[in-house]
Amino acid sequence: MAAARSAANFFNTGKGRYLLLAARLILGGVFLYAAYAKLHLDGQWHLGDYNFLFALAIDSYQMLPLWLVRWMALILPWLEIALGALLILGVGLRWVSLAMSALLLVFMIALARAALLHLEINCGCFGYGSVTPRTELLHDSVFMGLSLALTAGAFLSYRARRAQRL
Amino acid sequence: MKSAGTRTILFVALCAALLLPAWAARAAAQTKPLIGNLSAAKSLGSPSAPITIEVFADFQCPQCRLFYLTTTQQLLDNYVSTGKVYLVHHDFPLNMHSHSHEAAEWANAAAAAGKFEAAEKALYEQQDTWGPTGQIEQVLAAALSPADMKKIREIHTTQLAAIDASIEADMALGNSRNVNGTPTIFVTHRGQRTMLPQGGVNYDLLKQYLDYLLQH
Repeated sequence: MAAARSAANFFNTGKGRYLLLAARLILGGVFLYAAYAKLHLDGQWHLGDYNFLFALAIDSYQMLPLWLVRWMALILPWLEIALGALLILGVGLRWVSLAMSALLLVFMIALARAALLHLEINCGCFGYGSVTPRTELLHDSVFMGLSLALTAGAFLSYRARRAQRL
Repeated sequence: MKSAGTRTILFVALCAALLLPAWAARAAAQTKPLIGNLSAAKSLGSPSAPITIEVFADFQCPQCRLFYLTTTQQLLDNYVSTGKVYLVHHDFPLNMHSHSHEAAEWANAAAAAGKFEAAEKALYEQQDTWGPTGQIEQVLAAALSPADMKKIREIHTTQLAAIDASIEADMALGNSRNVNGTPTIFVTHRGQRTMLPQGGVNYDLLKQYLDYLLQH
């Protein structure tokens, strides 16, 4: 209890705040870049047909039915933009960082499965700049660590501020 | 006053000067068309089709086989034969496959004989047969007529250097486009070339994409 209070106070002090801000900028930037790389391929914007191309990338995981593949391909880049922007702006920080952690968990499960099945695919996470699922799993582990720390920090910070108000 | 001998030498030299370029052009025409035509011979459909699909493939690669069996056949039936898609094959034999370069050579010889489609079909359908043993010629012989096979063998024997040059040209093209695996597929529409994501290309998803392009 005391440790939680101490951590909560830490995230409300100068250093803790800066760490939270840095994590927000890094993760938000990564999500915004991931969306950009899906919409802007090979030097050209693909706003009209990105969903077809991204659907092929998602389907290469051989994991989801086609209707879900199409649906995910259509909304995922915009979800990444929304989460990335909200995180950088600090709007709804607790829920945005929680949603980001959940999304990263889904990505990591898909990547781990592809790596275990030795699927010869690119992860599709960053458009043409994508790497193998195994390598991307390592990247996502770092992002997940950051996202979990951010989520914990956001909740603890909120709790400390609420306690101060009461 | 010039002697008759000098005049003869001058006449011969003049004739040689006039005929040599023609001979050189003819000799070049005899070797170059095979390379030039090979690219067209490995392509299916009409070059004026609104969409061009280029496939960089390795005949020994399992993913290429899967793409051929699940997607190419339907593409041929529904888009290539109807003049909507021009399907271009580029050889990209990977070093990790022991017989893929040899298979590409035979496929190119078949292409020069006008039998690429049948050879491609046989090579992919029988990949499990020739892949471990390297018995490519036998697989093709079982799928093609003796007359076609005779022609293909002749081309394979006499034009191997030109065939290898064609394969090298395909690989150089792939390298220039950052191809690093097979199959790698490019779709070109209205001058805009797009590389499809690597991995299996589902026909239903590709069909939706092609239909979208055809409407725009």
